[in-house]
Amino acid sequence: MELWNTVVEGTVMYAVLHPPNFAAQVAAQQRPELRKRAFALVDGEPPTEVVVAANKAARSGGIEAGMSRLQAETVPGVIILRRVQKDELTAEAILHTIACMFSPRVECVESDAGTYALDIRGMNGLFGDETQLANKLRRRIMTAGFLANVAVAENFDAAVCLARGRTGVSVIPSGQEANALRDLPLHVLNLSEDHAETFKAWGIRTCGQFAALAEIDVISRLGPGGRQLHALARGEWPHLMFPMEPSFEDTLVERTELDFPVEALESLLFLLRCMTDVLLERVKTKARAIASLRIVLKLDGGKRHERVVRPALPLQDTPTLLKLLQLDLETHRPGGATVGLELYAQSATPYRAQHGLFLPQAPEPGRLEVLLARLRKLLGDERVGSVELKDDHRPNAFRIVPFAPAPPKKTDQPSFSVATSLRVCRPPQAVSVILVANTPARVFWDNQRYAVREIAGPWRVSGQWWSEANWCREEWDVRLETQDTERVCRIAYDPRSRCWYLQGTYD
Amino acid sequence: MSASAAIRLQVETALAKRVPAALTLKIKQAPELFSTGIGEIDAVLGGGIPRGSITEIAGAASTGKTSFALSSIAAITQSGAACAWVDVSDALSPESAAAAHIVMKRLLWLRMSSDRKKPAADMPGSRLEQALTATDMLLQAGGFAAIVLDMSDVRPQDATRIPLQHWYRFRLAAEQARTALVLLTQTPCANSCAALALRSEPASVRPFSSNGETALFEGQRYRLVRERDRNESSALHRKKLSTRAEWNSGTPWSRVR
Repeated sequence: MELWNTVVEGTVMYAVLHPPNFAAQVAAQQRPELRKRAFALVDGEPPTEVVVAANKAARSGGIEAGMSRLQAETVPGVIILRRVQKDELTAEAILHTIACMFSPRVECVESDAGTYALDIRGMNGLFGDETQLANKLRRRIMTAGFLANVAVAENFDAAVCLARGRTGVSVIPSGQEANALRDLPLHVLNLSEDHAETFKAWGIRTCGQFAALAEIDVISRLGPGGRQLHALARGEWPHLMFPMEPSFEDTLVERTELDFPVEALESLLFLLRCMTDVLLERVKTKARAIASLRIVLKLDGGKRHERVVRPALPLQDTPTLLKLLQLDLETHRPGGATVGLELYAQSATPYRAQHGLFLPQAPEPGRLEVLLARLRKLLGDERVGSVELKDDHRPNAFRIVPFAPAPPKKTDQPSFSVATSLRVCRPPQAVSVILVANTPARVFWDNQRYAVREIAGPWRVSGQWWSEANWCREEWDVRLETQDTERVCRIAYDPRSRCWYLQGTYD
Repeated sequence: MSASAAIRLQVETALAKRVPAALTLKIKQAPELFSTGIGEIDAVLGGGIPRGSITEIAGAASTGKTSFALSSIAAITQSGAACAWVDVSDALSPESAAAAHIVMKRLLWLRMSSDRKKPAADMPGSRLEQALTATDMLLQAGGFAAIVLDMSDVRPQDATRIPLQHWYRFRLAAEQARTALVLLTQTPCANSCAALALRSEPASVRPFSSNGETALFEGQRYRLVRERDRNESSALHRKKLSTRAEWNSGTPWSRVR
């Protein structure tokens, strides 16, 4: 146990960068003319906006956090600005990038915006000793336009407290955390309002005064929270570092620039195969699969051609993904030569299914996706899929939706009589009709003369009368016959165009 | 063991590496059948249309081919399997399909180009060629319990001109994929490749009803004739089946009345 402590305590070192008054710093960085003037930032929904930050000049003029906008406006010479969260996020990203230059293990201190803790173990060879590293880090941050306190300590929270409370660079030697924190005010411990009130009542103002109290007495009065604060004040609270890792999805990008423009799709597919392989390998290391691929072709002349291929199920199969890409690009060809390729992948949990011996037959998802892509290429996007009826009585009131058969499952068969089906003419075919007593008696269609043997109708239907797309027609069911054939059809009369149409044949 | 049996065993053993069981008759498995959803027709067909084979239904317009096919597809999709409808003339009515109780999500509808004036403008080949290619793709991909190739509006002279090699290819692919391929045509064109050949024709005319004050088209009566059934000689068909059946279909509004 002693050996374990020695090894850990002797090796871990944390550097914490803390930009004080971060929101005000960001505002001043965005608008440099504010640096020499007093300003305050307000946030919240009007008219209940409150002051969230102010620069030193404004604070000396009487501005305090928590004041309402109206109160802040009464202070002369203070500019009131709205807080811009987007700028703060950008500034945080800049500070994070700088922190990543000094250490691969960086943790964000969530209680303070823009504050980052770096594990600087083993960085001596690159940046010198702790003091040199801290100075270099601070200078780098200043170059980016921010002022930051940098503290280095073996204890994570001691470094955080020191960065909050002491300006400039502070390096605490090993085992001297309590001494270093002794003179710092208690607010560096990030106290809750209740605890702050309690300590004020006790007359305790510094960490040293608090650390001098007996731990048992503190726990008996403040509970477990008091124990943590006491350990923080002594610089002894243990912390397990959780380094920020770059988003896995952000890493699923492959880019290639070409030396000369390429028009042939086959050449691009050769490159795409390599890029897909790389992405798939990366995805497989996390035991995941590719849910979608977004390909961006940079075209000669500055244009971009972007396509997204989204298999029905996440795939781990390069040939299938490549075939889908190929079919999609063949269907939607880029309008020029390609000078660059970007391939973005989105990962998902791989599809796993336990098929049953006695389940009904269903297409295998991977093969089905390629099949549908091929059929779309052959017939067109709008001619392949399942049909979904619209809530409309207009002819052809349906939409085509992607074919995604539900999991095989038996349903009870309702016992209905067999329905007479209509074979629809798309588009409706114009026919000539002879009327007798306002009823069709003869129909001429497709160079044939049909006599109307039986007739039912007219069925008057209309819709969309409230818009320009209004429609109406009179439908008749007719049994037509010639000398040797007979057929039952539906014909319709359109009063607007005064034309007769054959809508379909019952079969 | 008799002498002939011994000789047969000897020959089979000698040829075992080249022709397994050379002198033993292959036991023909009873075909798996899909119910058509029409009791009268199932009775004539011994249970339904065969799986892994081509079923050809030929007949003129208004003889019930589409109603028969939709009823069969409805029964198959309700059993949980996926089906496809290759529509050469883009003539399928989704309302009729819904009225036949097809599970729409399990039906893949392929519509050939209906632009009759310029079929080859932006599409490769004519509608019939597209349909044959699409059917081939579906059969090769597998996974569909039934595929309907609807050529009802294709002229007989065009249908009979389809090279026989297509039907041979489809027969083999359907057998491997265990798919029931249903052809709807005006005249038989698959010839011997079809395991089951049916002819549809109009039965006695069912007049429009004049039950109320207005006449109403309530349905049709059709006749289906079994012209050839390759599985008919199966030992499983103990009793002699009839070759023709008559059946009724009703319009959706007749169910309301």
